[in-house]
Amino acid sequence: MVSSQILKGCLDELREITRTEFCLQDTAGKIVVCTQFGQPQPETIVSAFAESAVDSQIIGTSFLLKVMDDETVSFVLTASGSGDNTFMVARMAVSELQHVSAAYKERYDRHNFFQDLLLDNLLLVDVASRARKLHISDQVSRAVILFKVGTANHEIARQTLSGLFTTQNGDYLTEVEQGSLILIKQMKTKGDNYATLDEVAETAVDMLNMEAMIKAIAAYGTVIHELKDLSKSFKEAKMAMDVGRIFYADKTVISYNRLGIGRLVYQLPRNLCRIFIREIFGEDESAAFDPEVTTTVSTFFENNLNVSETARKLFIHRNTLVYRIEKLEKQTGLDVRRFDDALTLKVALMVCSYIKYIESQE
Amino acid sequence: MASLSLKDICKVYPNGFQAVKNFNMEIEDKEFIIFVGPSGCGKSTTLRMIAGLEDISSGEFKIDGKLMNDVEPKDRDIAMVFQNYALYPHMTVYDNMAFGLKLRKVPKDEIDKAVKEAAKILDLSHLLDRKPKALSGGQRQRVAMGRAIVRSPKVFLMDEPLSNLDAKLRVQMRTEIAKLHQRLGTTIIYVTHDQTEAMTLGSRIVVMKDGVVQQIDSPQNLYDKPDNLFVAGFMGSPQMNFIDAVARVNGNSAALEVAGQTIPLPADKAKAVVAGGYNGKTVVLGIRPENILETTGNEEYAFKSTCNVYELLGAEVFLYFDLEGANITARVEPTTKVRPGDTVSYTFDTKKIHIFDKETEKVIAN
Repeated sequence: MVSSQILKGCLDELREITRTEFCLQDTAGKIVVCTQFGQPQPETIVSAFAESAVDSQIIGTSFLLKVMDDETVSFVLTASGSGDNTFMVARMAVSELQHVSAAYKERYDRHNFFQDLLLDNLLLVDVASRARKLHISDQVSRAVILFKVGTANHEIARQTLSGLFTTQNGDYLTEVEQGSLILIKQMKTKGDNYATLDEVAETAVDMLNMEAMIKAIAAYGTVIHELKDLSKSFKEAKMAMDVGRIFYADKTVISYNRLGIGRLVYQLPRNLCRIFIREIFGEDESAAFDPEVTTTVSTFFENNLNVSETARKLFIHRNTLVYRIEKLEKQTGLDVRRFDDALTLKVALMVCSYIKYIESQE
Repeated sequence: MASLSLKDICKVYPNGFQAVKNFNMEIEDKEFIIFVGPSGCGKSTTLRMIAGLEDISSGEFKIDGKLMNDVEPKDRDIAMVFQNYALYPHMTVYDNMAFGLKLRKVPKDEIDKAVKEAAKILDLSHLLDRKPKALSGGQRQRVAMGRAIVRSPKVFLMDEPLSNLDAKLRVQMRTEIAKLHQRLGTTIIYVTHDQTEAMTLGSRIVVMKDGVVQQIDSPQNLYDKPDNLFVAGFMGSPQMNFIDAVARVNGNSAALEVAGQTIPLPADKAKAVVAGGYNGKTVVLGIRPENILETTGNEEYAFKSTCNVYELLGAEVFLYFDLEGANITARVEPTTKVRPGDTVSYTFDTKKIHIFDKETEKVIAN
């Protein structure tokens, strides 16, 4: 339903232009909106007119017209003015109100349609027919880009993104929870690929940073070619967002196609992860979360297990690094200078990050 | 007024990755500071911490003496221009520039004033009614700048704003940014991996590598007096030539032995070599391409190599040859008669020689 504020805005502007006063009443005669000097009609007259077969009626200097919605009367408009053109102006006003109502309805329905589609709330047989009704092309390549912007910044982020991605271009912006925005991005040409999606997501994040001045992370799913698969792309984007936040915290754009080992760890059952962590770190898991250990090991991995280079990067003496490595070996039985042990520890630290994230969510 | 203070700033991600290590710097009002370095060196992360888009793991960041670590980006009185900008396609230039202020519910008359002033500065006044598709690449870039200018911030943060432009437009926009800094008189922090951009724009340059500041200095000092091998190699195009040499000390004088030739060092450089105890040790000799000179016949020493490549750039010529396995580039006058295959006889301008410790890579003498 169009808000009264929008209807009032339409009629006030028409009044400004034409000097005609308007009053919009529902079919029972209740006033919906009125311009400054609009003349509402008695409820009995309005309801009788709404039920009559005529399209318009003249009462004194006022014209009554019906505002239709799908062949049923939704409102009665009273236009009052001294000019000869009052009736014509009243008809124009009715036309505008009908179009505003139709456009709003279509938009509102599209919003619901996409939300239902993303959340798998639609029967497959209904997808194509509802899409046709809403003028949404079914056989077009699309992908879902999910933006995490935080609850406090939701509205400002929505306004920024809706300025960039418009329905005229086949893109659609919607949301299913506060703090996240979902962009259904239409791939325009055959050449559009994941590099294009990356570029779009990066631009959107940079724009949210620059224009809205908010932190934002984007994650996107795979490109789908039928509307019914949209929820698949959405689920992938959600998973990419989770995996990215756990394992790739330095990235602001995460692609479902490039999740690396994080994808595997994320799929592991929680019990299995706990058993694995206990196996590596024993009962005391604190070593896995000690910043000194994580920084040392991470730098050691970055430098291809090279002790001298790692010591140089960490600004510590080589012997200090060796001491730290040996201390870790005592705790875990893993000597990270050996490839096999380094690999085990790398996975173990990733599993720890995953469990830590899961626990923080709980 | 906007002075920035960064003390022991560190960024460590939850997986232990240290993106920035102990960043220390004081930035004065109206300075044009450049963060430069190869990709992954932490320059963008530092900028994002200043912007408030990344949390600071440890250290203190202040603007005009006020601690900003936990202040939201919108409350830091900054404006940003990043690499990936887009203009709102269905809005006019005016609305594009006004949009950020509208989002922040700034009164209409203030927005109007700010947009018109910014348009005047950027020479966009006649384009305010146009849509982005009717603009050239340079004009679009100026609109993107305008969106930052309308905020009248204390500090501008720019992260490779020109990297999506073609070479010609980049040069043009570089000049525009320099002019803009002069007109606005605001502090600018600018991130780039392009050392030409860094040298031409910055009043001071911060060279970074692996999250660590290598040197902070004026462009000329960075070029003439690099602190280490990395800075020496990174600044300058073509880059500085590096050749292994053995230091020989004789009393208070010193020389470098390269390819069977002995290069006597000027007194100041000799003093540093003597004091460092480098006698008999291998050091790295650095020489800029423009400091390699064709011999005249009166030199104490001369090298001979075969020219491999000759590159004419109009106002200058680059000659490429090998010396003791090192690739050497010389920048010479276009009148040179040397061509590929010719034997070149050349010497170094000894006053311009740089000497580096081979192990620590730190400078011994500039």
